[in-house]
Amino acid sequence: MVPIRVVLAEDSYLVREGVRRLLETEPEIDLVCVCEDYDSLLEAISSADPDVVLTDIRMPPTGTDEGIRAAEWLRQAHPAAGVVLLSQYADPGYALAFLEHGTKGRAYLLKERVSDLDQLLAAIREVAQGGAVIDPKIVEVLVAAGSRTAQSPLSRLTPREHEVLALLAEGRSNAAVAEALVLSERAVEKHINSIFAKLGLPEAREAHRRVKAVLLFLAQQS
Amino acid sequence: MTTRPVPVLIVDDQAFFRSAARAVLTVMPGFTTVGEAYSGEEAVTRAAELAPELVLMDIHLPGISGIEATRRIRAAHPGTAVLLLSTYRVEDLPAEAYDCGAIGYLHKEDFEPEVLERLWADHEPVS
Repeated sequence: MVPIRVVLAEDSYLVREGVRRLLETEPEIDLVCVCEDYDSLLEAISSADPDVVLTDIRMPPTGTDEGIRAAEWLRQAHPAAGVVLLSQYADPGYALAFLEHGTKGRAYLLKERVSDLDQLLAAIREVAQGGAVIDPKIVEVLVAAGSRTAQSPLSRLTPREHEVLALLAEGRSNAAVAEALVLSERAVEKHINSIFAKLGLPEAREAHRRVKAVLLFLAQQS
Repeated sequence: MTTRPVPVLIVDDQAFFRSAARAVLTVMPGFTTVGEAYSGEEAVTRAAELAPELVLMDIHLPGISGIEATRRIRAAHPGTAVLLLSTYRVEDLPAEAYDCGAIGYLHKEDFEPEVLERLWADHEPVS
């Protein structure tokens, strides 16, 4: 088994040491470099060529959006690399900026989630394969932000369709949505067709294309 | 004269943060972890059992809050100092945080060896 090579960027001592300890014991992860600021992160990526970058949003020098800028740079310089973005807050603005050039190989997790090693590993594995993960709280915040617009087509969705949409945006399969809502897969498919029809979106089969569709739509609304 | 390391009790409901706080203390020769607790009630019990000199207390705990646990520990053990930790910005701290007897408040993002050294060196001795 070839371990997933990870570069970690985090300026908080506590979170850095906590994540380092979590990942160092995992045989499927090779933590190749740990850095604390934007310039060291870019340098680490160039020299270590990681499979996945696990990074906070804010770090020196400006403490604003370094992680997001690093992810944008990675799209061009290292398109095969995945990024797991960590944040303390569920910020719809950051989420949309992070995902506007596509969700392939991208995950956005809340820091409170990194304490769950299984969730963190799942996100690292998923983006290493080109998949996408969005923390459910962030999906909630995005959907809420989207439906606040008076004329938003999201307001045409039934409560059940809202629930299905939120689960879709997390990248869940139809089977997983059916299980979560205790519905048949057939019923889920009907809801999805109705949602996409109401939102004016083309039907999409793959999970992360569906996330992309949902987010692009929400980006238009904000 | 060598002083023995300050015995510390770590209180946080997340194993991740307890582990990370241990990592901070491990690199500080002046401090040693003597125990952990994951709730306010457990903190009060462990403080009585272990007699720490310093308690690192997360504000957000299940059951009684970190602030209430601080009050009870300070009342029962005047020689034990309590440092509050959380992810609040200072201006968002609840009012009770200021008069519960804690020696101070530290944002988890700022929690690192140098900061704890300075805070401990500068704090007013308790009791």
